[in-house]
Amino acid sequence: MHIPDGFLDTKTAIATAVLSAAAVATALQHLKRNVTRKQIPMMGLAAAFIFAAQMLNFPVAGGTSGHLMGAVLCSVLLGPSASIIVMSTVLIVQCFLFADGGITTLGANIFNMAVAGTLTGYTVYRIVQRIIGSVRGKFAAIAFASWCSTVAASILCAGELAWSGTANWSATFVAMTNIHMLIGLGEGIITTLVIAGIWKTRPELLDRQFVGTKRFYEFISYGTIFTIGLILFAAPFISTLPDGLERVASSAGFDVRALKEPILNTPLAGYRMNGIITPELATIIAGMTGMVVVFILSYTLAKVVAPKSK
Amino acid sequence: MAMTPVIEVKNLYFKFHDGTEALRGLTFKVDEGECVGIIGPNGAGKSTLLLHLNGLLPEEGRTPFSVSIEGKQITEESLTDIHRIVGLLFQDSDDQLFCPTVFEDVAFGPRQSGVTDEEIKKIVSEALEKVALGGYEKRSPHHLSGGEKQRVCLAGILACNPKVLVLDEPTKDLDPRGRRELKILLRSIPATKVLASHDLELVADLCSRTIVLDGGRIVADGPTIDLLSDEKLMLEHGLEKPHSLQHHHPHS
Amino acid sequence: MRHDFIDRYSRLNSRIHNLPASLKAGIAVGLVFITVIIPIYTVIYFSSLLIFLIVIAALSLIPAKFIIRRMLFLEPFILSVSILTLFQTNGIISFLNVVIRSTLCLFTMLLLSNTTPFDELIQLLRRLKIPALFLTVLSLMYRYIFVMIDEVERMQRARTSRTFTGNKSHIWKTRTVLISQLFIRSTERAERIYSAMRGRGWR
Repeated sequence: MHIPDGFLDTKTAIATAVLSAAAVATALQHLKRNVTRKQIPMMGLAAAFIFAAQMLNFPVAGGTSGHLMGAVLCSVLLGPSASIIVMSTVLIVQCFLFADGGITTLGANIFNMAVAGTLTGYTVYRIVQRIIGSVRGKFAAIAFASWCSTVAASILCAGELAWSGTANWSATFVAMTNIHMLIGLGEGIITTLVIAGIWKTRPELLDRQFVGTKRFYEFISYGTIFTIGLILFAAPFISTLPDGLERVASSAGFDVRALKEPILNTPLAGYRMNGIITPELATIIAGMTGMVVVFILSYTLAKVVAPKSK
Repeated sequence: MAMTPVIEVKNLYFKFHDGTEALRGLTFKVDEGECVGIIGPNGAGKSTLLLHLNGLLPEEGRTPFSVSIEGKQITEESLTDIHRIVGLLFQDSDDQLFCPTVFEDVAFGPRQSGVTDEEIKKIVSEALEKVALGGYEKRSPHHLSGGEKQRVCLAGILACNPKVLVLDEPTKDLDPRGRRELKILLRSIPATKVLASHDLELVADLCSRTIVLDGGRIVADGPTIDLLSDEKLMLEHGLEKPHSLQHHHPHS
Repeated sequence: MRHDFIDRYSRLNSRIHNLPASLKAGIAVGLVFITVIIPIYTVIYFSSLLIFLIVIAALSLIPAKFIIRRMLFLEPFILSVSILTLFQTNGIISFLNVVIRSTLCLFTMLLLSNTTPFDELIQLLRRLKIPALFLTVLSLMYRYIFVMIDEVERMQRARTSRTFTGNKSHIWKTRTVLISQLFIRSTERAERIYSAMRGRGWR
């Protein structure tokens, strides 16, 4: 998902760079206050570790293979702030040493994978983990959060490409989101199995977090940065929703303009799906269904990985 | 005239977090200029002992005067000074060579002391000359051989001008040539040396005195030749008499 | 060593390599910015840039085969994202537009990374007042990538020599175990590195 140079226009490149810089700065501030000297070599090694782990091939079907992105792996093991820094360094090294991802798009790549990947993943993880509780809940949360982080990163990527005028929103959103909903499954499985492996051998490593309780200030600043990004780049996504529904409504004979408000409450059930639903809407529906399915799969995986709830 | 021993260890005890007793009451002294070998089976506590000699262990709860360097006990406050006096060479040079270039790594120690950039350049090049790696400043560690990496680590320590050199398994990853070169190098360094190693030939070559460690206790402390020629002692503690001493008769 | 491809040529002794890092980085990044912004019909710019890059590549003494191989390896990523541009009006033009720009930028960055040792880039970032904590992490990361890759290689070899099936789920299982082990080893190594840093005065 590394965007090469030339795919984003100036305003997008600058906007993402600013947001990423703000997020990284916040993470650094947070770490400066909380991290001990002892944990710094660990961060450097964690970055090298993620880099190496990303190089491993996971064969899928017919010659294609998947790779680990690692944002959730990193944030579960080190905490969100350290994860943002670690993932950013990985992306920077990939950009400079490998030309994997462009320099003008570095801001976007960092925002999508290091910042959004981490924050989405970690937030989902904490929420789900609190709802389900127990060891099994932790693993289900990890699997589900990994999937979410991949999908979130891809949606933002699509949004950025669309906002730049490089590609139109419809094609990009549909293509990228659908593909990444599948890729996300791999991410979920790999991340969960890796953490399970660590849990079996050295469970105490899972207790160490660089961030203790998430402080209110950090939460606000991350939240703001993330929301701005979301609005900018996923905005087309929000606007698609009424479009799709309008089309459904008008083909059923409703006067669209007059019923602008209530349209959002019109039940879709009872209408034939084919030919009325746009590709974007279909993707959104698939996404919602996907979320439920993935959640169930995550819990199943957790049962496999942690058979007895301790 | 009694001189203060450079290293004085008194009744040193150490337990790991999980309760295993690693060191059970070690007592010994090392005088200036001595070269002492520490030998023993795996798990005897050699590496653990070495980490105590420059204060890296224990991380908390130090017993006063259990380890003294030049008469000064090791405390939290004296740690900086201790690190200047005692240089520790780790087993795995990759753990110790943590900077992106040779120059930066050798300069790491002196930089902490607030030396000027000009001075640092001089110190680094002198240290590299001492280990026969002159001109290696710009090299990247990952392109170096095991022996070269280790010599860079040694240069990094020598750059701090330590009075005591503590070495943990220095020949572990070296090929015969590397080993030979290290031996010659160590001989040329005048500092007091404490050397933990499985390489008994090396110990026989370099160390006039040897301490045998087993199960966290000192089971023997005396002239190297005597100890290493004592077959019964060697076999009892998981060691064996080095070949070079097979036909050697100990002299008193 | 499989990680040779990462840093093999960044320390050659050519006229280009010997230029200061700040100059090279500045020119490279500047060129990339211009290439990204400039209107597509300025053919003169694109052709002169291409010639310029080829000349620099020649002067840098980096083997052409290496450069070409790296470009071929990375080009598919550009192409696959570019396919999305075909789904609009004037798709072909957008496609070519994006592919040409992107490939030229790729060439530029490849030349930069292969004529500049990474530690010089870190020094440059330090002069640009990037926070010390970030640079320490970056620097440690770069240093230990190679160690990490070597370890992965060793661990994989150990497993492959005891693997008798090409079964996909087996591969997934062994590779995830490998990653878990790698992490545990990394934490242990990090502790030793911290000891080494303390032992040399790091506060």
